[in-house]
Formats: sequence, C-alpha cells, structure tokens
Amino acid sequence: MAEYAKPIPVPSIESKPYWEGLKQHRLLMQRCDDCGKFWFPPSLLCPHCTSDRFTWSQLSGNGKVFSYVVYHRVYHPGFATEVPYTVAVIELDEGPRMLSNVIGIAPDRVVCDMRVKIIYDDITESVTIPKFTPA
Amino acid sequence: MNAIRDKYAIVGTGKSRLGQVGATSLGLLEEAIKHALDDAGLKNNEIDGLVVRGPDDLYSHHQLVAQRLGIDVGFSTSLDNGGASQILAIILAVMAVEAGMATTVVCGYGRDSWTRTHASPSAHTNNDLIPAAQRPREHGPEFGHFGAVSQHAFGARRHMFEYGTTREDFAAVAMAFRRHALRNPEAVMKKELTLDDYLRARLIVDPFGLFDCSLNSDGAGAVVVTTVQRARSLRQKPVLIKGFATFNNTKGWIAEDHMISTAAVKSGERAYNMAGLGPRDVDTAQIYDCFTYMVLTQLEDYGFCKKGEGGAFVRSGALGLNGALPTNTSGGQLSEAHVEGMLQIVEGVRQLQGIYGSDRQVPDAEIALISGHGGNQVCHSTLILGSA
Ligand SMILES: [Zn+2]
Repeated sequence: MAEYAKPIPVPSIESKPYWEGLKQHRLLMQRCDDCGKFWFPPSLLCPHCTSDRFTWSQLSGNGKVFSYVVYHRVYHPGFATEVPYTVAVIELDEGPRMLSNVIGIAPDRVVCDMRVKIIYDDITESVTIPKFTPA
Repeated sequence: MNAIRDKYAIVGTGKSRLGQVGATSLGLLEEAIKHALDDAGLKNNEIDGLVVRGPDDLYSHHQLVAQRLGIDVGFSTSLDNGGASQILAIILAVMAVEAGMATTVVCGYGRDSWTRTHASPSAHTNNDLIPAAQRPREHGPEFGHFGAVSQHAFGARRHMFEYGTTREDFAAVAMAFRRHALRNPEAVMKKELTLDDYLRARLIVDPFGLFDCSLNSDGAGAVVVTTVQRARSLRQKPVLIKGFATFNNTKGWIAEDHMISTAAVKSGERAYNMAGLGPRDVDTAQIYDCFTYMVLTQLEDYGFCKKGEGGAFVRSGALGLNGALPTNTSGGQLSEAHVEGMLQIVEGVRQLQGIYGSDRQVPDAEIALISGHGGNQVCHSTLILGSA
C-alpha cells in the first residue's frame, strides 16, 4: 500500500479519547454529567453550563449536512488527485457540529440539510478519521 | 448623548504603495505612517501612542514600529483580532486618550502577503501567511480543509440555501467594486469585470470562484487619532468619530447561525446607538470584503436591507457611486488591495473630507460606516464617522 500522503491528524492531550474511540469505530464525545449535553471539539469545561464533570459517550453517528463546500483548488499535494471533493459542516443528531468529508456522492448532488451517517476511514494502522455518506 | 461621541477625530490618513510591491510589512507601514503624519502636519515626536497590527509571526510588532519611528510612547500595543483589529485600534486609541494615557495616537496595519507568497515556488501552496505553530493539526486538515476561503464559503452556501442567494448576486458585488477601482489610480485591478468574466473564472472553493476572493497584496495604511480640540490646530479638516463598537461571535463561525447572521448585527446596533444614528443616515459604507458574500451578509446585518434580501439589494445598483449606498468606493479588498480593512478606514475618512473629484466623490457625504471582520471569522468591529 502506498504511503498515506494527506495530513495525519495530531491528537492533543484533550482530544486523545476521541481519536482512541474512532480507532475502535466508535464516535465518542464529551457529555456533561450535569446538563447532559454533548460538545465538540474537546475541552475541559462544558460550554453549555461550565460544569467540569463529563463522561466520554458514544454518539449515533447520524446527522445532517449543515453546510458544505467543494474544493477545486489544491491546497495540499495529498489532495491533488482528489479535487473536486466535498468538505462539510455536519450537525450530529445529538447536537455538536463537526467538519468532515461527504463521500459516496458526487459533490454537485450534495445539498444542505441532507441526512448523512458516519463511515470510519482507517487511514493508517493507528489512525481512523470520521467521514460521512448519505443515509 | 454619549460622552465620547464627536469628542475625537481622525486628522491624517496615509497609504503605502499597494499590490505587488516587494517589501517588508514594517517598511510598508513606515511608508503609510509617513504619509499620515505629513497629511496631519505632525512630526514623529508629537506621537505618544501607537496601536498597530502586522503579520502574526512578528512578536511585539508595535515595538518594532516605534523603534523605526524613533519614538518612545505612553501607550503602545499590537492587536490580534484579525481583520477586526484595525477599527479596534482606533477604539483603543480613543480609550487611551480618554484615560489620559496619550494625546495623539497612530493606528496602522501593514502586510507583505504578496512578497511572502512569492518568495519561493512552494511559498504559495504552503500558505506561508500562517505561522506553522498556528495551523490546526486536527479537526480540519485531515479532510483537506484549509483556511479562510472555505470557512466563508460555508456561510455563502448556507445563505444560498436559506434565502435563494445566487452566484450572480455575489458577482454584482465584485463588479460594483471593480467599477470603483477603475476610478482609483492606486487600485491594483485595472480591467473591467463582466458577469461573463466572473462566471467563467476558475472555481477556488465552490461556491467561491476567483473573483469572489480578495486580492493577495502588499500594502499598508495608517491614520492619526486625537481630540477634536487638538484637531482644530492641525492641517486637515478633522473627521469626527461618532460611534464605534465591537462584537465577537466567539462561540464559533460554525455555531448557531453565525455564518449567515454575523457579529455585525450586534456590533452595528451598538455603534448606531453610540452615534445616535441608523442605517438610513449612512451616506457611504466601507465594508470588510474578504469575500463577496461577506459584503452581502453584512449589508443585511447592518440593516441596509432585510435579512435574506442582500442579493436583490446588491443587484439593484445600490453599491455604485450614485446608488442608494455607495460602498467600497476605492475598490475594496476585492479590487483595490487587501490590507485587512485598513484601507476602508482611509477611504471612509477621505470621502468625508470631500477630497475627490466628481468622478470618485460620494455626493454630499456626511456619514460613513466602516466595518472590520476577522479572527476566525467571528470578530467584528464597526466605526461610524461624520464630517465636521
Ligand atoms: Zn453542562
């Protein structure tokens, strides 16, 4: 297999459990022990109620495309053969929004608010990234 | 009445050479400050305050600027709010003078983006404007997501979905500003832009094509801020600072509805309140135009038209010199040069001074609204100026 040429995410101390979860094909985010809401990206305080008590919890992996763009310009050589590709803001059913790719559909057929579900892309032996495809 | 309104003034403006200059950001800023001081009729030793911004990798930027100017100053700092910084600089200058920390403050910004991105064959794709340590390393680059174009394009796309806005609407913004630039000898863009040119241009990050994006420029701008009282003894007719505000949608650009209803809403309300004015009083707007869409949404957010009606507003010809709201009358960042909002301030002041010939002058311009937008798309600043 050819060497992976795209950027490989570098976990922070705070995001490590998120990346560990993805490796096991589970979408984990922090859920507040006090107000019950999820948040993303990882941080130490609940942005909804400032509680410092949380549990890493599994999400459904279902959501919708809040917005999306189609890259035509190559900003990184790893994407030279990939353009045009779709990058989207995904709104998960549990609330948080995250960036990802929408795959398995031509970029010009993606629309805002379309339903999507998560796909786990094992980009190396130790790193998995979350992508989305029409539900 | 607000205690600060009409108490402070801008008394000098300056620009450096613009475009493909080949210079350092500090050198460009020196040029602009020199012109601003000459315009005001002030010497370097009459400046006792400095609020500036430069490239993000220049530590303690203001110290380097003051050293080059050969001045010790009572109040001095560099700002970090991206394109919202330049109006914030003027706000801080007023606050410093009001607090007795300075009397006469230079505010300015210089950037050497063209020079940097042409320093080597790889410099452009490496996006050498962002220091390596500041680039995100997760939650973005792994998806091939890089930089400001696509972040703003998310907003454009959602606005199109919610309100039926089209790329033809964005084109109307780009074409209006290009027409202004053709009357401005300092503007980088010299050729007329047709709808056909706009639609045929290559896509960068859809829905944005080449002409939706601001220019990659070298350039600098500077202004001098002092009290109206002190302004009376200076060379230029002062331009009054009537209102200002900032607001920051710091929950994030992709949070809530921030990408289609920006921090300009609250920044604008607060600035209008301070000035005792509303959108109908504004004779010319100088709007932060990093991308065409950002003009359209800010025109809505500032109340020049209703939310969702920005497309029809810009297609009506409103932005032209004799339109309902002559906007970015020097060509803006889309067609004059991109100096992160600093040139918008200079142009707003000069329109109110009435220095232009009839080909470029907004008729009877008495009130100008200027906007700044930046950081990670969430910081906003507003300045409302009036002729004396
Ligand atoms: Zn909570």
